[in-house]
Amino acid sequence: MMDIKKLNKKKLPIVKIDKSLEKFKDKILFKDKLENANQVLKTIGLPK
Amino acid sequence: MNLNKYPLKAEQTLMVFEFISEGPKGNVAKIVQYSETNLKGFYNLGFGDKNEKTGEIIDDVITNNNDSQIVLATVASTVYAFTDKYPDTWIFATGLTKSRTRLYRMGITNNLIEIQKNFHVYGLRDNKWQKFKKDMEYEAFLVKRKK
Repeated sequence: MMDIKKLNKKKLPIVKIDKSLEKFKDKILFKDKLENANQVLKTIGLPK
Repeated sequence: MNLNKYPLKAEQTLMVFEFISEGPKGNVAKIVQYSETNLKGFYNLGFGDKNEKTGEIIDDVITNNNDSQIVLATVASTVYAFTDKYPDTWIFATGLTKSRTRLYRMGITNNLIEIQKNFHVYGLRDNKWQKFKKDMEYEAFLVKRKK
């Protein structure tokens, strides 16, 4: 079994699938931030 | 980023992650959500606490659980997981407050060499996206996985 130090050095994390999180999938949990992101991308555009 | 991280849970599509912050304030459930913006392929990274009793999500709360470096490293690890599944996406991130955005900037700055091996990193400054540089203040960040 991989020890904690080796696990923490890995960039790609091990992700356990948890079906209880499905209920959040189609909800916007961070509405203010998403609106801000939309506003910035609309007015500033993309990196050149 | 060779920092300690908390174990992650996610639903199947890796749009929503959860982990537990541990510290003097107890165990606090944290949620990270990637939401597509109006621009296809561009996702906002949202991050906050989950109230275990009510299920309510509180945006950008300061928990003071003395583990901000571990929390940031864990959030950063979700970026690796998300972009591993969706390699062509861009991720937009900012804090709700200047101090929170500064915390994100410090997290990127402290690990910039490592991050830039895998990601293009841009900061928003003076209404322009610029390649991320240390010691510069930014209002928001965009990252994209290198190919």
